[in-house]
Amino acid sequence: MLRPRLIPCLLIHNGGLVKTVRFSDPKYVGDPINAVRIYNEKEVDELIVLDIDATVKGAEPDYRMISHLAAECRMPLCYGGGVRTIEQFDRIISLGVEKVAISAAAIENHQLITDAATRVGSQSVVVVIDVKKTGLLRQFEVVTHNGTRRTGIRPEDLAIQLADAGAGEIVVNSVDRDGQMKGYDLQLIDLIRNVVTLPLSVLGGAGSLEDLETLVKRYGIIGAAAGSFFVFKGKYRAVLINYPNRHEKDAFYKRTGFQLHR
Amino acid sequence: MIALVDYGLGNIQAFANIYKRLGIKVLVAKTPSDVRRASKIILPGVGAFDWAMTRLQDSGLRETLDEEVLVKKKPILGVCVGMQMLAHSSEEGILPGLGWIDATVVKFDSQYLNGQTHLPHMGWNDVEPRGCETLFKGLYDPRYYFLHSFFIKPHQEQYTVATAQYGVKFTAAVRSGNVYGTQFHPEKSHEWGIGLLKNFAEFA
Amino acid sequence: MTMICVNCVMDTTDSAIVFDDYGVCDHCNTFYSKIKPKWDTDEKGIHESEKMIENIRKAGRNKDYDCIIGMSGGIDSSYLTYIAKEKMGLRPLVFHVDAGWNSQIAVNNIERLIDGLGLDLFTEVINWQEMRDLQIAFFKSGVPHIDTPQDHAFFATMYKFATQHNVKYILTGANLSTECIRNPIEWMYYQSDSRQLRDIHSRYGTVPLKTYPVTSILWHKVWLPYVKGIRVVRPLNMFPYIKEDAKQLLIDRFGWQPYPQKHFESRFTRFYESYWLPKRFGYDVRRVQYSSLIVTGQMTRDEALELLKKPSYDDSTIGQELEFVANKLGITVDELNSYMELPKKTYRDYKNQQQIYEYGARVMRLLGLEIGGKR
Repeated sequence: MLRPRLIPCLLIHNGGLVKTVRFSDPKYVGDPINAVRIYNEKEVDELIVLDIDATVKGAEPDYRMISHLAAECRMPLCYGGGVRTIEQFDRIISLGVEKVAISAAAIENHQLITDAATRVGSQSVVVVIDVKKTGLLRQFEVVTHNGTRRTGIRPEDLAIQLADAGAGEIVVNSVDRDGQMKGYDLQLIDLIRNVVTLPLSVLGGAGSLEDLETLVKRYGIIGAAAGSFFVFKGKYRAVLINYPNRHEKDAFYKRTGFQLHR
Repeated sequence: MIALVDYGLGNIQAFANIYKRLGIKVLVAKTPSDVRRASKIILPGVGAFDWAMTRLQDSGLRETLDEEVLVKKKPILGVCVGMQMLAHSSEEGILPGLGWIDATVVKFDSQYLNGQTHLPHMGWNDVEPRGCETLFKGLYDPRYYFLHSFFIKPHQEQYTVATAQYGVKFTAAVRSGNVYGTQFHPEKSHEWGIGLLKNFAEFA
Repeated sequence: MTMICVNCVMDTTDSAIVFDDYGVCDHCNTFYSKIKPKWDTDEKGIHESEKMIENIRKAGRNKDYDCIIGMSGGIDSSYLTYIAKEKMGLRPLVFHVDAGWNSQIAVNNIERLIDGLGLDLFTEVINWQEMRDLQIAFFKSGVPHIDTPQDHAFFATMYKFATQHNVKYILTGANLSTECIRNPIEWMYYQSDSRQLRDIHSRYGTVPLKTYPVTSILWHKVWLPYVKGIRVVRPLNMFPYIKEDAKQLLIDRFGWQPYPQKHFESRFTRFYESYWLPKRFGYDVRRVQYSSLIVTGQMTRDEALELLKKPSYDDSTIGQELEFVANKLGITVDELNSYMELPKKTYRDYKNQQQIYEYGARVMRLLGLEIGGKR
C-alpha cells in the first residue's frame, strides 16, 4: 500500500542551511551537502530543498549547487527557489532532480504550470503556497517572496486553480507556524484537502512525532514535511539531524493504519 | 560494463553513484560507440512521454539502441518513463514508443482511487514480485518510490514480473526476453533499489 | 632503520624518542615512573573522586547545570556522559560542535545518549565557508596537524560556553587508560595555539574568520581557570575504564553504534589519521593508541604488532575517501593529492606560542597539578 511520506525540508540561504521562525531570523544550521549525506544514511523518504534567496533576489537558481545536491541525494529530491521559466524546469530536471517546485511565478502565471506539466510531466511540477493569517479578521491569505508580499488570494481558491492548471503536487506552508514546533495548522490543511485531490504536502509547525501522527491519522495519504523537527533536538533547539529509523517508522505506520503487510 | 544512456533525462548520477559504491563498472553513454561497448544497458527517465521520446530521438542513439537490444539481445532496463518508452504508445502523448515490449501505457482511472489523494501516484509503495529472480533476488518486502500518473499495460500476462496496488493492481515491473523495465525508481529507493540494480548488473 | 620500543610499539617515527639501555622508550618510562604512581582508581582514587564530585555538585547548586561535557559521539565522550549522569549523579549540559564532518553514526550516537539519559543538548555549528577555507589553508601550510581547525573550534566553543552558562567544571573524555601515551607534538602540535592558527590563516586563508571561534592560550590556561575559576576534570581517570566493556554497555543500554576505529565520528579525522598522516609523514597514530593500551594492560605488544602489520587504510576504498574529502572541500582530487607533495613543514615554521605551553606545563607539573606527558 502507498504510505504517507515523512519529508525533511531544507532551506538554503547564502549557500548555507538555515532555519527560520515565521519566515525570519534565519539561523545558520550547517552545510547542505553534509545534511543530505546524513539524511541518505537515515534513508529518508524524500527531501525538499528550497533556496529562499533566489526569488527575492530575482536570481537564477544556483545550478552548480543543485547538481551537487542531486548527485549526493539518494532519495527523491524536490528543488525550489527562483524558478520562473520552462527552460529552468528543464535544466533542473536534467540535473537529476525528480521534482521542481515553483511558488510566486506559478501564482502569477498559471500557464507556466500547464507548460511545465506538458514538458516534464505533472508529477514533477510542485507548487508551494505560503499562507499567512492576515487582516482584522485573521483570514488565510496566500503570500509570496518569503512572506513579504500579499496576493489577496485565498489558499483554497488558488489550490483549485493550480490543480486545474496541471500541478502534480501542492505544498502548503504555514508562515505563522514556521519554526514554532507547536503542531501543524490543521484548519488550513482541511481547507485545501477538501477542495483538491492531488497529492498534498504540508509544512510549518511540526514539533514532534505526535504532530506527524495526528496529521496522518487525520488525512491518510499526505506528505508530512518539516524543517525544524528533523533538524533540531531538545528544548534549546540544538542542531542535530534526526529522523525516525526503520523500526520507529514501522511503528509509526502501524499506529497510523499503514502497517506493513507481512 | 553497464551503460547508462545519457539522453538528457533521468538521474544518471544516482545510478552511477550506486554502481560506484558497489564496485561495478559503469559508463555514461552519450554516443553510439559508448552504447556498443556495454554488456547491459539502463535507460533512465523522468518526465512526460513525448518529451522523453523526442529527447531520445534527438540524442542520435535510437538506431544503435534498436540494434543492441533487438538484434544483439543485450539486456536493457528501462526506468520510470524509460520503461514506458519500451511500449508501443502512451495515452500521455502522441508519439510512438520504442515498441520493444508488446504493451501500451494508460492513465490511472480516478474512479478506482477512493482515498483523498488521487494522481499522480506519489510515494513509497509495496511491490509484489512474480518470480523474476533476475531483478528481485534476495529482496524481501520490497518497497519502492513511485512518481507517475500513467502505467504500463502489457498485452500478455507473462510480461508482468511485479505488481503494485494503487486503486487497481497494476504492473510495476516488466520483462520480455532481454527487455526489462520498472515503473518505480530503483536509483532512489535505498536498499531495495540498490539490491535490484545489483541484481540486474550481476545476472548472467 | 627504525628502532622500536621493546615494551610498547612507539618507534623512531617519533623523532624525539629516547630509548634506555633496555630498549624501553621514554614514553613508557615516563608512564611507569611519573604517571602510574599518581593515578589512582582504587581506594585513594575513589575518595579523591568523591571529593571532586561533591565539589562539582556544590558549585552547581541553584544553577541549571553543574558541569559541561563536549560530546563528539565517540566512545570516550559517550561513556563519560553516561557516568557523569548515572555514576556521579551530576547534571551535565551536553554540548556538541558541528564542524561539518559529522558522520551519521556520530549524530545517531549523540541522539541515543541524549534521549537515553534525558539530557539537554546544545550545538554550535561552525560556519562551513570559513571552516573549509581554514582547512585548506592548513593543507597548504604543509604542517602535519591539519586537523587543528576542528579541534581548535571544539576547544574554543567549549570554553565560551562554560563562561556563558556560568558553569565551573568542564568534564572531558580525555583519559589515561587509552591516552596516557600521547601523540608527539611533532605529529600533532597544540591545537589550541591560536597564534599558529592565525598565522597559517593569514598566509593561506582567503575567507575572513568572522564567526569561527578562536581561543587563546592566555584565555583558557590563565584567565578562565584562575580568574573565572573554571576547571577541567577528567573523570575517566577516576573510574576503571576498559574500552571494550564500556562499548558493550553503551550498545546494550542505549543502542549506541560502534565505529570501525578511534575518531571515526568525524570523516575528516578518519581520513587524516588513517591516511594522510601515515602516508605523508609516516606518523601512524595507531602506535600511540596501542602503546597506551599496552602499558595499561589492555593489549599485548604482540597483538599490537599484528594489527600494525595491516595498513592503516583500505586500498580499495581510499579512492572514495579522497573523492569524498576533495568533493566536500570543493576542490579536485588532484588538488588534494598535490598537497601531499608539498614540502614538509613543522609547527616551528609558523608563529607559535609553544614556549608558553612548555612553561605552563612545567609549572603545573611542579605544583603536582597535571599528570600525563605530551612532548
